Amino acid sequence: MTVDGISTYPGLGFGPMGPVEPLPGEPPGTQLRQNQDTTTELPTTEKTKKERTFVIAAFEFHRVETPFLIGLWIFFASLAKIGFHMAPKLSRMLPESCLLVFVGVLIGALLLSTHSVHVQPLTPDTFFLYMLPPIILDAGYFMPNRLFFDHLGTILLFAVVGTVFNTLTIGASLWACGQTGMFGCTTPLLDMLLFGALISAVDPVAVLAVFEEIHVDEVLYIVVFGESLLNDAVTVVLYHMFEAYTEMGPSRLVYTDILAGLASFLVVAVGGTCIGVVWGFATGLVTRFTNEVRVIEPIFIFVMAYLAYLNAEMFHMSGILAITFCGITMKNYVEANISHKSHTTIKYTMKMLSSSSETIIFMFLGVATVNNTHVWNTWFVLLTIVFCSIFRIIGVYIFSAVANKFRLHKLNRVEKFVMSYGGLRGAVAFALVLLIDPTVVNLQPMFVTTTIAVIYFTVFIQGITIKPLVKILNVKTAEKRKPTMNERIHERCMDHLMAGIEDILGKHGNHHMRDKFKRFDNRFIRPFLLRNYQGAEPKILETYSKLAMRDAIEYMQRNASTIGNISGAESMSAIFKNYTNTNFNGSPSFSQIDTSTWNIDMQELEYNPSKKDLTDAKIHHLLAEELCKPFRRHRRLSYSRHAVNERDLGIQVNYKTHMNIRRRVGDRKHHHKRSKRGKQDGKNHVTFPEFQQNGSAKQFTHDYIDEVLQEDGEEREVRRDGDDGGITFTAKSPLPNEDILEEDERRLSDDNDNYNMIVAEQARVATPTATETMLPWKREEAEGSGALKQSEFPSWASNKEYLAYNSPSSTFLGGIEKPKHPKSIIGLFRRESSSSTQGAAEAVVLSDSEGHRESTSKGEASSKDGGVRQGPSLLSKRSTSLGGPSVLLMEDVAHSDPLGASSRPASIMQGPQRGQCRRGSMMELTGSMSRDAITEEKCCKSLPESERMGVRRLPLGQSLGREPFIRQLTLASSLTTSSSSEDSSDENT
Amino acid sequence: MGNKSSLLLREEEIAQIQEETGFTPNQIERLYSRFTSLDKNDCGTLSREDFLRIPELAINPLSERIVQSFFAESHDDRVNFLQFMRVLAHFRPIKKNRENKLNCREEKLRFAFSMYDLDSDGKISRDELLAILHMMVGANISEEQLTSIAERTIIEADTNNDQMISFEEFCRALERTDVEQKMSIRFLN
Repeated sequence: MTVDGISTYPGLGFGPMGPVEPLPGEPPGTQLRQNQDTTTELPTTEKTKKERTFVIAAFEFHRVETPFLIGLWIFFASLAKIGFHMAPKLSRMLPESCLLVFVGVLIGALLLSTHSVHVQPLTPDTFFLYMLPPIILDAGYFMPNRLFFDHLGTILLFAVVGTVFNTLTIGASLWACGQTGMFGCTTPLLDMLLFGALISAVDPVAVLAVFEEIHVDEVLYIVVFGESLLNDAVTVVLYHMFEAYTEMGPSRLVYTDILAGLASFLVVAVGGTCIGVVWGFATGLVTRFTNEVRVIEPIFIFVMAYLAYLNAEMFHMSGILAITFCGITMKNYVEANISHKSHTTIKYTMKMLSSSSETIIFMFLGVATVNNTHVWNTWFVLLTIVFCSIFRIIGVYIFSAVANKFRLHKLNRVEKFVMSYGGLRGAVAFALVLLIDPTVVNLQPMFVTTTIAVIYFTVFIQGITIKPLVKILNVKTAEKRKPTMNERIHERCMDHLMAGIEDILGKHGNHHMRDKFKRFDNRFIRPFLLRNYQGAEPKILETYSKLAMRDAIEYMQRNASTIGNISGAESMSAIFKNYTNTNFNGSPSFSQIDTSTWNIDMQELEYNPSKKDLTDAKIHHLLAEELCKPFRRHRRLSYSRHAVNERDLGIQVNYKTHMNIRRRVGDRKHHHKRSKRGKQDGKNHVTFPEFQQNGSAKQFTHDYIDEVLQEDGEEREVRRDGDDGGITFTAKSPLPNEDILEEDERRLSDDNDNYNMIVAEQARVATPTATETMLPWKREEAEGSGALKQSEFPSWASNKEYLAYNSPSSTFLGGIEKPKHPKSIIGLFRRESSSSTQGAAEAVVLSDSEGHRESTSKGEASSKDGGVRQGPSLLSKRSTSLGGPSVLLMEDVAHSDPLGASSRPASIMQGPQRGQCRRGSMMELTGSMSRDAITEEKCCKSLPESERMGVRRLPLGQSLGREPFIRQLTLASSLTTSSSSEDSSDENT
Repeated sequence: MGNKSSLLLREEEIAQIQEETGFTPNQIERLYSRFTSLDKNDCGTLSREDFLRIPELAINPLSERIVQSFFAESHDDRVNFLQFMRVLAHFRPIKKNRENKLNCREEKLRFAFSMYDLDSDGKISRDELLAILHMMVGANISEEQLTSIAERTIIEADTNNDQMISFEEFCRALERTDVEQKMSIRFLN
């Protein structure tokens, strides 16, 4: 409501750059709408007020009528949908589609009785151009590819031959009945065939709506659903063919026209498919380059798929086929390229669009029922329904008999029944029948009525009864589950095995074809379409990462009690002592594990002193390293229309976050870039002689948003500026002079490292660096250099302040360092706390909504040559926003933390006692934790898994390709950090 | 080729194979013609080279293991037709009424298991699993990652904590998998 200002109609009052001056010609008052939200803070308001008088409030409906009505429709349809689910009894008995149609009828009746608005909402154009594409895209994009192609033969048989069969038989039977005169009107053969064409097609929308609810076995589902998708081409061709024939008149019909119809079918089907595939590849290619602009990633998927649809329609090819195959094709490549957030966005948006257009379609069907002038012909309606059902059943039995000859999995009687019963007709038929020109086909009104009747019959009678029938017939229902690691690997192995056997047999079956395609795909397509091509078996990695993530979560939850035990008030030195003790004494259980079968590597055995940290490091690797690297592809095994799997998402998100950190830590290029940027925008980076600190709340938020928006996965590509943690600490420090650095220096020599970390992630970031570093150098430089190494831990890590902020990992690291450079640490500590707290503190508070500052920005020393090193900065909203901060944090910390154990406990304490615990002895914790873990081995399974894994991975970890490199990097950075910290501390003391 | 094969294959041989493997005579003849066409030396047996000469098989990541599985029972590195058929019989689809000892679920699983079991000690060790993973995944993934995947896999299936997957554990791990379906081929009649 406008009170004293102007509420400008948003569409006019705002230009792209904000409020704009009203056009001189028209007084702003005309644009007012009473029920528009008030925008009181318009700067232009006062000025315009003085200049002229205008109507404060006005009502102009006409201008917004169309969009407003559309909005209302969507709104009410969605409201209706909510309503059904508020009444569980109702929604359990009736499928949603029935209820929606019912509501549509009510609304239609209302509109009819008021006579106020004449609405014909469901026009063929709106249907085909706006409502159908989202549903089909959703179907194609989430199509279980493998299942689909495994059963492609059967699907095509039903979709093509079955549909033609139905069309001809229904048309011919109706015509034959018409000859008896029972319909009371002339029924030309061509008209009947035209009607048969549109009524015989199984409708994807209706099938989806019903089958989604009954959860039948996936094979059954894919056969019916695939048929409903692919028969579009046939339907469209037959429809146009008969329409054209009707227009030409039967007398002038020559056989070449029939042949032309056949050819046109091929063109329509193949052309549509090709257009879809090409657009699909194009989408994949485009998303390869979107890593700089993550925000617009989802739009490509939607727009390009839609363009494929329109493109096919443009040439009168099957748009449905085009968009289906576009979705099928693009999915694999797109999902590998886009960020996780984009993926989530796509998933939700697609579900939302398809679900709402489905809702609207059914509702409009209801409305259309009431609004049309019907020509009811009882016999015609009855016979159509009967013929539809009968010929559907006959068709299914005939063609499934044919298909069974070639199928490994024979369609049994129950499946055949469900298939024939699931042949639902829907809105496609309705839209097609509306398209018929009544001047050419006189019977069009009767067709419309009959079509509606058939749709009602299938949606109501069949839709309602199919669920109980499925139960009675004991149809195998789909079990939804995630594959275990074993299943994934062994199934893949079996695939290869079967492909090999097929090759030996000289048979070109499914396995053979799939193998061939996969090879081709991996060799020629993926490398071009994927930004980071990750080897042949992305799914194994995907499964692995998911499972590892789950393990981690479970582990945390299991160990919550352990974590609670941490005492809060231990001094740093006590912690260090504890830590080293644990380290060197090692717990007996560890040695046992170490000497077990797999650890035959002598070097590994000799490297006993730090069993503890090795173990920790491995746990870390288990939880972090492994999690972060795998290719991310999140797809559900089975397709579901309206449900987005929450758990799935949660895990992915975390995983994703984690990868982000990894990237930050490991990415050298990135560092380069950051440093350059740091130099460029001096405004943000205020440079102090020794410590540099910058970052205001504003920048932080800005950066945070950027970060969230354009997270880019595991890429090690250069990232855009400003997307990283907001608060940057930079310190100039003299050259590092340690020997150990030398090899790393080569890499880093001209490298001004910047560390960017987000607050929440800070803990992990810090840790991974250290841990990862630890293993490699220990290995490389043999046992003796242990002491030396310790100096490599970043000095900030030992800062007590940070401890208090619950960055266990840094504590731990600091712990190592402390014995070596007690002075420097103290000095540094003081120094940093004084200098960094102010800046950091605000950031921290900012970042953490709950006020716990689990992530502190750590002041950080920089690399040599005045290189700018950015201290870890913050973020944690992300975690909070992802629901359940504790879980997330657990994961986050755990994964990135080199000392997996130590960090884990810390993260768990985020509950009430966090503040106290934080400061507690991480070292002690680590020790006790791991021991606990080992003892627990017998009772709980998953826990020992991770533990054991951690230990075991040791020997193997040595020969790695990429891994060491990352470690080197991180090592290098930590080295520089520590060296600089030394320097600064020297100055202090 | 068809003539030749039917000439070489005597009725009683067919009957014997049919009884043992459950293939129909037609299938046996068809497979025999394939067998002879693979047998470039016309010596009635196949060598490893004969198998690896199949171009698609040669690039199959698991080709080595697959071929090896044919030689499991042979002592002289040659496979005769009966052995060939015995191996293939594992992949016959299961039919309810015609139960055959070679193509039951357990045998299928055992065959899959033997793919991993490089040293045929009845257990899959981590290294064996790793080797298979290597073959399947290729070079683009770091060793470490593969290792951890292998470990994760073993831990997941390992119920008796011996760090190996025994056949029983293997079966249990694949309990929910439709092995009958996945490891069957429709042999032409």
